[in-house]
Amino acid sequence: MKEIVKITIGLTLTCLIAAGIMGGVFIITAKAKKHNEYLNFKENMLALLGYNQTNPAPDSLQLCTVYRYLIYQGDKTSLGYMLPVKSKDAKDIRYQFIRVDLQGQFVDKFDLEIETAQTTDLKDREKALAAVLPKDVNQMIFADRFIVASNKDKRLAYLLPGKSPGFKTNINFMLALNSKYSIVGLQILEHQEDPGLGDEIEREYFKNQFTGKDSERVKTLKVIKEPLPDEQLKYLEKSKWAKDAYSEKDIKALQKKYQDKDICAITGATISSVAVVNGVKNVVTKFVYRVKILENIISKQKITVAF
Amino acid sequence: MIENNKSYSNIFLNGILNDNPIFRLALSMCPAVGISTNVMNGLLMGIAVLFVQFCSSLTITLVKDFIHPRIRIPTYTLTIATWVTVTDLVLAAFFPVAYKSLGIFVRLIVVFCFITMRLDVFARKNPVFPSLVDALGMGFGFMLGMMAIGGVRELMGMGTLLGYDVLGFRPLLFFVLPCSGFFVVGFMMAIFNYTEIVYNRRKREMRSVA
Amino acid sequence: MTKSTLIRWFICFCILLGCTACKTEHRFVKRTEFKKTNIIVLCFAGPVDESWANSAAFRINEKQDPDILLKVDRVELSKDRRTLTIFMKDPLNTSNPHQMVLPDIMSEGKSQGTAVVSVKKLYWGNLISILIGAMFIYNYVFVKYLGLCVYLGVTQKKSTAIGMGFTFTIVIIFSTSISWFLYQYILKPYQIEFLQIIVFIGLVSLTVQAVDTILRKVNPILFKEFGVYLVLIISSCLILAVPLIMAAQNYDFFESLMLSTGAGLGFFIALFLMACVRERIDLSPIPESYRGMPIAFIVSGLFALSFMGFSGMSIY
Repeated sequence: MKEIVKITIGLTLTCLIAAGIMGGVFIITAKAKKHNEYLNFKENMLALLGYNQTNPAPDSLQLCTVYRYLIYQGDKTSLGYMLPVKSKDAKDIRYQFIRVDLQGQFVDKFDLEIETAQTTDLKDREKALAAVLPKDVNQMIFADRFIVASNKDKRLAYLLPGKSPGFKTNINFMLALNSKYSIVGLQILEHQEDPGLGDEIEREYFKNQFTGKDSERVKTLKVIKEPLPDEQLKYLEKSKWAKDAYSEKDIKALQKKYQDKDICAITGATISSVAVVNGVKNVVTKFVYRVKILENIISKQKITVAF
Repeated sequence: MIENNKSYSNIFLNGILNDNPIFRLALSMCPAVGISTNVMNGLLMGIAVLFVQFCSSLTITLVKDFIHPRIRIPTYTLTIATWVTVTDLVLAAFFPVAYKSLGIFVRLIVVFCFITMRLDVFARKNPVFPSLVDALGMGFGFMLGMMAIGGVRELMGMGTLLGYDVLGFRPLLFFVLPCSGFFVVGFMMAIFNYTEIVYNRRKREMRSVA
Repeated sequence: MTKSTLIRWFICFCILLGCTACKTEHRFVKRTEFKKTNIIVLCFAGPVDESWANSAAFRINEKQDPDILLKVDRVELSKDRRTLTIFMKDPLNTSNPHQMVLPDIMSEGKSQGTAVVSVKKLYWGNLISILIGAMFIYNYVFVKYLGLCVYLGVTQKKSTAIGMGFTFTIVIIFSTSISWFLYQYILKPYQIEFLQIIVFIGLVSLTVQAVDTILRKVNPILFKEFGVYLVLIISSCLILAVPLIMAAQNYDFFESLMLSTGAGLGFFIALFLMACVRERIDLSPIPESYRGMPIAFIVSGLFALSFMGFSGMSIY
């Protein structure tokens, strides 16, 4: 009996010491880790917009995030959007929360007391929302978010993060749509697929197949189990183009030729390819449906959004 | 106590040749089989393991008198887990570039058998400095082993080495598949065994001649 | 535990699972299920009017997207008018639960009220798919390469392999269940998930010690046979990997139970297969440099290759 007590005490003590050390390091590093994650995310966003080290983003580039919530009030369900709006002195950005019912009709809007830096934290957002929403709201669930990139009052692109269950675990990706809702680019953020097989979803010849497809085509997009024709393969691998390989006319012609083609799967990684295509389909169809309603409401209610 | 007549260089080389964790002791096969698909992965994994092994050996030799014998294995695992979490958090916070490549591997180190075994066999019974040297030797042995396996698999599977196209075509995609790890390790172990047999035979012949 | 008590527990367990599956949300709608990729089937308690079935405005949406209504292509009523088959225009994403509103169900002239029902994959199906997944498709030894040290060390003889597999399954089921409780009720609410490794290891060691002591007192004969393996279990990677996966996927209790059972059984199968082969190999003429470890690896490689045939399978 004594042995067991000694053992348990010894084990608990060791666990506590280890927990203490880990807790200490965690507290010190948590903020820095979050900051790094944010920087990484931003880098991916800029890459999607076409900016990198040789082509830096202009200072006037603005990235505004819109958060979508599901609000349950009694037996009524509504969607809520947390929008950044331009305030009267046009210097800083304030936030408003508008509610839209399931049929797409405007319900009400509230001004939020929240700073831009705080909006990335889930808890801070919920606090600000709870302060303004009516008391009989049972639940507010964060659904998803999208980012609008604009430069000097002109909308460049909509960036949509999304995820899809792949062969191993979830594949996190980010899509860029232009103002007419055609796909401008696809970036794979995180995945744990097999190297050499599912890993190839990060390669240009897969990702660039999505570029140029409009939202109607994406709704019926499929995966076909055919190899890429050589001409298309060369065209897709943009980074490997020789200096004057294609003229403007050539690029336009090739783009038109392959614009409506289905996505060719990666050899030996059908499941990963299908996962990405389904994820993209889901995200695009739902977003396009919702953003049209949102734009309608924004213009009708004359909300001065910051983008 | 230190075995007599074992100098530090002996201990270090021991970790690489005689007691190589992968090819001789056959411990921690899990990563050797699963992750060593190319040389870069092997290198990064080896560095991470080296660091954790070093720190854990250091910790255990310093506190070896306070550990109750029946809970020693959980204690080793806890030490390793603490160091792994610390490494993971510090890398994520202060070295984001390195974290991008190393990140997944660091978390997997917790499940390595051989670090635990090494702590039990060596660090528990020896003073600080020899344990550190042994840890370094083991870590290097592991890293070299992983790089070797990774090299073979990458060359035969993708035709590249460290990302550079060496062959220009892909010989056998089979080597990139996870199960090929078993085959490659099995064959390399056989080669190790074969060289040892030939070496011993030669030594015996030389001795019988002399 | 004696066989009869085990059987009794198993029957209780099945009844419990059955109860959760039988409850329906509306007294008139008996069953809802997905069929193929774009069909929903509803079974009613009584016959419904054909006029209602053809003209009713069904509202179908994914539960997480209540604002996006999915389009219905056509409906078909069975001959006895108790089964309604709804064909959708676009393929459904059946892994997400869907919600259906059936307005004002008319049965033989009388209204049965408006039903709001959810359509989702069978819970049982989900559980069984996790079980089979952990046993074959994601077998921990051949597909995920965990627990290889123990696997190679113990498979020299069939008896040791069986003993190890058995002990391992019991320990993993216990420790995963307790880990689940700790994870859900202590680690998650207080946001200290980074401590999960320590907590799980501590739990595993305590479980092993507990099983060790209990076995020693209750059944010394059994202890003599299996006691040796208990120490080996702690040093295996696998015992830590299963709770970590359960935490990462955020399973509920029954799902984690299925996961641990599947992992244990899969490990057992792997050990048993390997032991059978190794016993035979020991008697055959193998070149000297291949004897022992190398041939074991190559055989494991062949097993892994064959288990790869399971990959990508999905049941439900």
